[in-house]
Amino acid sequence: MTTASSMSTWICPPTRQETIENLVSGVDRYNPSNVGILEDYLYHQIRSSEYDCLANLAILKLYQFNPDLYNADVVINILLKALAASPLPDYNLCMSLLDERPAPSPEDDEDADPSAVILPILTSLHGLLLECKFPVFWKRYRGEEVKGLRDNYTVEFKGFEEAIREVVVRAVKATFTRIGRERFGGYLDLQGSELDSFISNLGWKMDGGVVTVPANPDNQIESTVVHEAIKLPQLAKVIAHSAKIAA
Amino acid sequence: MAAADPNHRMSLWAAEEQMEEDPIDLNINMTANYSSAQYDDNYNDTDAGPQIDEATVLAMQHHMAFSQIPDVVKGFIVHFHQAVLDNNLAEITVAYESGWNKLTEKFYSKTEWPEAEVIAPLVNDDQIFLILYRELYYRHVYSRLQPNIDDRFHSYENSCELFNYLLNSDGPVDLQLPEQWLWDIIDEFIYQFSVFCTWRSKVKSKTDDELMMLADGTQIWSSYSVLNVLYSLIQKSKINDYIVASQQAKTPEEVEEIVGPFGSKPLYRMLGYFSIIGLLRVHVLLGDFTLALKVMDNIELNQKSPLTRVTACHVTTYYYVGFCYVMLRRYPDAIRTFVTILNFIMRMRQYHTRSYQYDQISKTADRMYALFTICNSLSPSRLDDNIANIAKERFNEQFAKISRGGEEAVPAYEDLFTYAAPKFISSIPPPYEDPTALSNLMSMPTSPPEPSSRHLQLFLSDVRSHAPEQTLRSFLKLYTSLDAGKLAGLLSIGDESNNKDEEEVVQEMMAMKMGSRSISRVVGGQDAGKGLLEGETISTTDLNFAIDENMIHIAESTVGRRYAGWFIKNTERAQRTLDDLKSAPLPPPTAKAPANPGGATRAKGAVSGRPGGQKVTWATVKS
Repeated sequence: MTTASSMSTWICPPTRQETIENLVSGVDRYNPSNVGILEDYLYHQIRSSEYDCLANLAILKLYQFNPDLYNADVVINILLKALAASPLPDYNLCMSLLDERPAPSPEDDEDADPSAVILPILTSLHGLLLECKFPVFWKRYRGEEVKGLRDNYTVEFKGFEEAIREVVVRAVKATFTRIGRERFGGYLDLQGSELDSFISNLGWKMDGGVVTVPANPDNQIESTVVHEAIKLPQLAKVIAHSAKIAA
Repeated sequence: MAAADPNHRMSLWAAEEQMEEDPIDLNINMTANYSSAQYDDNYNDTDAGPQIDEATVLAMQHHMAFSQIPDVVKGFIVHFHQAVLDNNLAEITVAYESGWNKLTEKFYSKTEWPEAEVIAPLVNDDQIFLILYRELYYRHVYSRLQPNIDDRFHSYENSCELFNYLLNSDGPVDLQLPEQWLWDIIDEFIYQFSVFCTWRSKVKSKTDDELMMLADGTQIWSSYSVLNVLYSLIQKSKINDYIVASQQAKTPEEVEEIVGPFGSKPLYRMLGYFSIIGLLRVHVLLGDFTLALKVMDNIELNQKSPLTRVTACHVTTYYYVGFCYVMLRRYPDAIRTFVTILNFIMRMRQYHTRSYQYDQISKTADRMYALFTICNSLSPSRLDDNIANIAKERFNEQFAKISRGGEEAVPAYEDLFTYAAPKFISSIPPPYEDPTALSNLMSMPTSPPEPSSRHLQLFLSDVRSHAPEQTLRSFLKLYTSLDAGKLAGLLSIGDESNNKDEEEVVQEMMAMKMGSRSISRVVGGQDAGKGLLEGETISTTDLNFAIDENMIHIAESTVGRRYAGWFIKNTERAQRTLDDLKSAPLPPPTAKAPANPGGATRAKGAVSGRPGGQKVTWATVKS
């Protein structure tokens, strides 16, 4: 979980420009005319591998207050980014800001708001990642139902599948000391030489169909007895009182 | 002078009983002056001709209403007004915290206070006081009665007038109010905003008049206007600069230089401060948990923080911060936040039971016990066994269901969350100004789900990922190593529905592992002084494991017995007892007599009650 070990880069990624920082941290974040700047920044994140959750939440905040600005494509892309940040709570944080939208009236074209169809799919995918049901995740992701999402969104998203594999690697790294090659491949949705090169890119060793996961604080276990540590402030009252008596 | 006044005040309204039988001259004079000076002309007009214009009718109504105000209330208002004019904080506080509530109980427990227009002559038509009076008037309507749409609109307008007066004056206004009242102003402003949003979202129950007014009044209680007030108060008071400057230990002169004329005034400073807490709350109600914590960046949550000066503010802050942590899945941080404030509430309970806010505080405390129960089951901790036991007792039924795990656990979580979560609001009003869209909405068979149910579902998604944990734990605790296939077999025993294969179990184990990692502010770590969003990944479980292919290796951490807390608590108690004994008055003379040297054995008991006797004992122990 090295990527999530400290929140500082999540709160303010080093790649965030000053203009964005001012929007995210200032009152200007409420100004609807700034939504374009933030949306451009999102598409920059989609094309690169950068990620800035708080800036994306600022977009959703503007949508929340100004329903007219709502752009389903932007919302879907934000959620895809958040999905890849699992198990951080980003996906739910984004969903929290998406107020119920008035249901489309019957005469509206069904294609008018793709988020109505795609959001439930994304939410179920998010649930699968959270529950570490990776093989099912890939099966659903590759399925017919999700075709619209793949063809219109993740195709533009640089390294979406790689980002999901990062999620898998985080979970495997924390849980396993060694993992069968087939099982790992199932989690990653990779086979054959693709799988082998993925594993060697990680720098993990493979021996006779078993992958050794490098030691890290999460997969090293030890029985310990936790002894209480008494901190000075706990004793402040007692000491102060004794001092008073002595004086 | 300050000492003499309270006595005077007591005779005016604190002791109404006596008052009614023996009204003091002031009230009679006031009434007399009032009717003769201002309303005699109106009477003449009515007598003179048949045309009664609206103003006259209104004036008559006011007169009627005025004559019905009990004298003790009139006296109260006159004195309250005078206290505000004099900026006499002590008197304002007594009028605000005691007088108003006592008179409410006595005369207005089921009706409105007299309207501001009616009492205007008592306060020389002082517009500022009338705004403050209306603030109290509407607050009373919201808390005791059922506000109608006029009340809702007018309370908004009155709040705007108050904030305009404070924010748009050329310089800081010359007004002082008790901190408690300043907090209540902000608190009530947000409360009325949130109940308005909830009321507004219920389209189907509106009358035609209400629909029309809502169509015209889209700006009333809009999220933007509410945020605007809070941000303006923060900016005007330069409260963030003030906090930073204070943390850098600048001299009072330097601080004054930095924060300027507005920020130097306690009124603006505290309003600014409370507005930050207000923002925290509004952002939570709107579902923005990161922004909520981010506005708190400069505020330190500790016992010395100014927010602790008003108990209601103190409790509110911790509740909302803790709740943000729940929604950020930072359960250890949430637990720490709740434990801190629940302990505080427990300590202060002995002093505050009769305070008019105590009910509110104790309700919030109950909700925090519920949230604590949630957090402590999703991320078990031994931070404070005492709080854990109270929570367990209070939410016994839900606690039992959660501990058993399985299907029944989810509804139990649901119960607790629904009970304990804030009343979320939707920032988008129904389309009252658009008749077509509105009728579309009305014709819909089901109302759109409320914001609260949306947040509940989001929360439950995390609960589900934790669902298999309880059962897995109970088996893992029995082994130091266990084959995943064998574990799958064990799981299906006695529970046919739980028929899982080895692979499913392994995936559940991964989810369990990820669920036992959380971001947390490390106590005393480098994040201590930084924002509330900062933190590091920590392990939250005592049951650690790693999987080697199919073999699960388990290591349990046990907590050694804790003695320190017990000893510290009892040492402190002993010290308190000692102090009490020392400060106790000497025993009455009769008890003194047997204390003579050479007295009977009985005398020893009496001596031990004397401070002198105790001191000797203490000294012996020490040496």
